[in-house]
Amino acid sequence: MAQVYWDDVTEGQEIPALDEEMSSQRLVVWAAGSGDFYQIHFDDNFAKGNNLPDIIVHGALKGMLIGRALDEWVGDAGRIVQWGVSYRGMDPARQNINVWGKVTKKYEADGEGRIDLEVGCAQPNGTQTTPGTATVMLPKRA
Amino acid sequence: MVTELPDLTDQMKAAVGSTGPTVTYEVTTLGIRTFARAVGYRNPIYYDEAEAKAKGHPALVSPPGYYGMPVFNPLQQQARGPRASFDTPFKRNLNGGTEVEPLAPVYAGDVLEAVTTLANLTLTKGRMGQMLIQTSETVYTRKSDGKVVAKTRGTGISY
Repeated sequence: MAQVYWDDVTEGQEIPALDEEMSSQRLVVWAAGSGDFYQIHFDDNFAKGNNLPDIIVHGALKGMLIGRALDEWVGDAGRIVQWGVSYRGMDPARQNINVWGKVTKKYEADGEGRIDLEVGCAQPNGTQTTPGTATVMLPKRA
Repeated sequence: MVTELPDLTDQMKAAVGSTGPTVTYEVTTLGIRTFARAVGYRNPIYYDEAEAKAKGHPALVSPPGYYGMPVFNPLQQQARGPRASFDTPFKRNLNGGTEVEPLAPVYAGDVLEAVTTLANLTLTKGRMGQMLIQTSETVYTRKSDGKVVAKTRGTGISY
């Protein structure tokens, strides 16, 4: 993907969204990758026994999907300064999650081009479950 | 239904600001690839060492937010963080949120030492009754060069 430059970004701009399938298999791969083996994320009977409608997506996976959307946007020459999200709503597995980001502020700090963003994850019906914010550094055109 | 606490207990108040034990995390090629696969990365620097080196990295690159896994050993007691340093009537826990501040690149082969500080405890009332909101900060330091590579902040909700 072509490098994005700070100069070309405008406030209000959206970054490329991710549309991610949250299959039970994916959650098992995440359990292995994160070391979070809590059964509400892969055992249907266990989840139902905890009054959940279905197995649910790990909050941390949603946080890291937002990290990926930022990482792919800033490219090789950019850098994530920080990002943070709140897990406000549960996402049942076996449906897609839409990961999005929108530029809220463009400025300079420490001699670098910085961008603040609003970020989040949404369910297919539009319900927002994972609001957050991020700051990234983007390179300037020479 | 747990009995409501009128205020944080003295033990809880004393725990705020306390620091847990140092936990060793290993960042391995297998760990990086499994994390990158779960998150859906397609960038070869997270999978292919030759591609990572071609981009100027010394080894497979760890994706943002991945600081390895605590070394597991069933023969040793698991290290307990500062959140475990007080008694609590709340039985269930939810992950309330994550903040990540990457400070330096992390690579396969890195060994990190993580220290977690309990930053704050607050009692609130929510849909599920009384809740204890716990915020903690973890600092990850690379063992080989003493560099702080990341800080993360986590919010835990007990109810």
